[in-house]
Amino acid sequence: MIAGRVLNVLRTAAAAAAALVMAGPGAAQGFGQPKAPVFGEVDTGHLVADLVPEKASIAPGETIHVALRQRIDKGWHTYWRNPGDSGEATQIKWTLPAGWRADDIVWPAPDRQPTGPLMNYGYSGEVLLPVALTAPADATPGQTVELTAAVAFLVCEEICVPEDAVLGLRLPVAATPGGPHPQFGKTVAAALAAAPKPAPLTAVFAREGEALKLAVAGAPLAGADFADAYFFPFDGTAIDHAKPQAIERGPQGLTLTLTPGYGFQSPTPPAELAGVLSLADGRAFEIKAQAGALPAEAAGLGPPPARAPPAGGGGELGLIAAVGFALLGGLILNLMPCVFPVLAMKAAGLARHAHERREAQRQGLAFLAGVLATFLALAGLLIALKEAGAVAGWGFQLQSPPVVAALSLLMLAVALNLSGVFEVGTSLQGAGSGLASQRGMAGAFFTGALAVVVAAPCTAPFMAPALGWALTQSAASALVVFLGLGLGFALPFVLVAFVPGLLTRLPRPGPWMVGFRKLLAFPMYGAAAWLAWVLTVQAGDMALARLFAAAVALALAGWMAGVAQRRQAQGGRPVLAGSAAGMLAAGALAAAVWPGYQPASAAAAPASAADIPYEAYSPERLASVRAEGRAVFVNFTAAWCITCKVNERTALSTAEVADAFRRTGTVYLKADWTLKDEIIAAELARHGRAGVPLYLVYGRGSQDGVILPQILTGKTVVEALEAAAAG
Amino acid sequence: MIPLTRRLVLAACAATLTAPAAAVAAPAIGQPAPVFRAVDADGRTRSLDEFKGKTVVLEWHNGGCPYVQKYYNAGAMQSLQRQATADGVVWLTLVSSGPGTQGHLTPAEAKSWKAANKAGSTALLLDPDGKVGKAYDARTTPHMYVVDKTGRLVYMGGIDDKPAADPASLKGAKNYVAAALADLKAGRAVATPVTRPYGCSVKYKG
Repeated sequence: MIAGRVLNVLRTAAAAAAALVMAGPGAAQGFGQPKAPVFGEVDTGHLVADLVPEKASIAPGETIHVALRQRIDKGWHTYWRNPGDSGEATQIKWTLPAGWRADDIVWPAPDRQPTGPLMNYGYSGEVLLPVALTAPADATPGQTVELTAAVAFLVCEEICVPEDAVLGLRLPVAATPGGPHPQFGKTVAAALAAAPKPAPLTAVFAREGEALKLAVAGAPLAGADFADAYFFPFDGTAIDHAKPQAIERGPQGLTLTLTPGYGFQSPTPPAELAGVLSLADGRAFEIKAQAGALPAEAAGLGPPPARAPPAGGGGELGLIAAVGFALLGGLILNLMPCVFPVLAMKAAGLARHAHERREAQRQGLAFLAGVLATFLALAGLLIALKEAGAVAGWGFQLQSPPVVAALSLLMLAVALNLSGVFEVGTSLQGAGSGLASQRGMAGAFFTGALAVVVAAPCTAPFMAPALGWALTQSAASALVVFLGLGLGFALPFVLVAFVPGLLTRLPRPGPWMVGFRKLLAFPMYGAAAWLAWVLTVQAGDMALARLFAAAVALALAGWMAGVAQRRQAQGGRPVLAGSAAGMLAAGALAAAVWPGYQPASAAAAPASAADIPYEAYSPERLASVRAEGRAVFVNFTAAWCITCKVNERTALSTAEVADAFRRTGTVYLKADWTLKDEIIAAELARHGRAGVPLYLVYGRGSQDGVILPQILTGKTVVEALEAAAAG
Repeated sequence: MIPLTRRLVLAACAATLTAPAAAVAAPAIGQPAPVFRAVDADGRTRSLDEFKGKTVVLEWHNGGCPYVQKYYNAGAMQSLQRQATADGVVWLTLVSSGPGTQGHLTPAEAKSWKAANKAGSTALLLDPDGKVGKAYDARTTPHMYVVDKTGRLVYMGGIDDKPAADPASLKGAKNYVAAALADLKAGRAVATPVTRPYGCSVKYKG
């Protein structure tokens, strides 16, 4: 109805205008009927327009700004100098007394206005389009000049209506430059201050395959927040406006990946890429890029952290909520399979002192200290790595094969100790209860440290948002979150030691403890075996041979140490056996760690547990599959991530899920983070995560993926796939 | 956990509702023009294939759009169409407006619109689901394409070099379609194969 009415009105108006144009050259070309100017506001139909001056008067030879103000109806918009895929920029045609000069519009940075598959650039609400106005040197003070502006603009909602007005402004000429206009001075000055300006920036563009890279670098961009950065080109054919602009940060700038526009299909492609770079902090720069080599300081730091991840991510958490999640996550971490062996060790220690209250408390605190110190050390290292520009995430320590090998040997050593092959510190036995207590505290501290190191692979569901959030924050708040995590993790043991009554419920120490301790050795052997498996995934079966050789040597060293300890207990001085054991152990460890491992070849990698065919993830593959209009399931996983493996065994390998993949034609992409991979780390960060697992489902053509819960069930996956296929 | 799950579900629903059509590779100059089928004002199914061996002009159209009206009310589009068809060129006018949006036409409406506006095109094709429009990446009305006798795309872009709704802008405008047709007729390569299309956005089905 409305469209029809507008259509009729337009037909009449257009016909009238056409008749006028034909009437003769006297008609003001491009602006329809020459009307008498209106000195004030004009409602042109879908906006109210007027001319507002920066100053109340103008002096001879002075330049002031006069702005065309548009107060646009809600839901409607006008356009920027490059309107984007459709639309038309506002035009002003001045009629000025002789000698007066008006420059071009100083365009404010526009908004993006997506409409269906298209993208427009323009304004909504209230916008001021300032124009510099210069009075001639011989203007007569005391006179009032009349300035006339014939303005024409396209106003669009769903439909577009060309509207126009002839606006007038009376401006007194004063002998000397005056102050700001009492009513509009501030608004015009603010519009001018916010307008994009040239800056000492280097801008370079380059074609890279199908993409167009635009790099901008310079001091004004150092350390800037690049989330939501956007390039608005002046030329409407330079880029495909509707395509997303991928952002890569650098220490001194950023690189945008654009999609070339029509202009690059022309026999004379653009030699220059000029436009406005706008940042989320409100700054906007006018840039003029030349073709050339992209500067290195404008890339290398990955995409900006997600500001508001699609759902369930950590981007919007506050510090308190993040610490709360971390505390809860730490508590839950105690139930995770990775830490179980170490906790078993701790439980053994606790049982030994269950009925010596003060000793138990001291050990509880030492355990807490060990946990916190290790969390802080790991977090500090991680933050330092990120500051240095490396793309790392939680669990990074397990991405290094030598670290995995060393941890496996450490687990073996602990297991051998629990089995009674050798003792730790037995040589000091009988040297006084004070020392014994100190020894116990060191042991508790060490247990805490060990628990944290092996806990990393089991990122608990509650930890993921908190850690993801923490790693995008300042170092101080990140460390606070990690402290919360450590506190939650250590809390059960500290509570047992301090809450009266809990401790006494534990069984009394006795000979049964010897057997219990030996039983607890087996989870530790299991942990060593698991780490050995992780190593084969990372570095192939040759690495396994090396690790096993080192493990056997270490076991021999343990046995020798045990022999030496027993002989010493009988009054001997087994210097030779003791030092031989130490050297053998050191040699075994060194052989396992150095030289480094070769990454496993892709062919040597073990097949997936799931019988669903999958492809290796790459951003390019994801983009191309999505371009084909297929739904995609992306599994971010790692061999050392127990949660991932559990999900893959239980949820992702069922017949229903396999069937759902076939039925919906969903492509299964697997992003394996077992080894360090900056692209995957960057993608995790983009979704507000610091570690795996992460499951994303992209519907046909949907913009952002949907994040699935970290604990998957077959039902969740099937439903998500069906929803994606329907979309 | 429950709010989290609910948020996920909501996000999934939102993604379903707002999912735009599958991205298709944009048409490129010198490449075969995407083939299509669409129903004309008489209810017959037409396809690009049936015009093999002829030069074809595709014109994206929305009768309510001021930029389209600029050309039709002045009779400029009709004379361009007559000139082209007299030279043996096939001129197809396409409407990709979705039902309920500006410019949408039923076959009956299309027929009466053709008669009322004395349109000179070979056929007026209806593309209410936007399939053809999206295959060509048609963005504006008008958005013009020229396909040569071998079925390759030789021009895409604006109708002329004066991106304005004002009828006065017709005067002195360089018409890119007329120029491309003249180049083809003379056996030359099209001098300006790509320009920026201008006008209203195509009102694709939501």
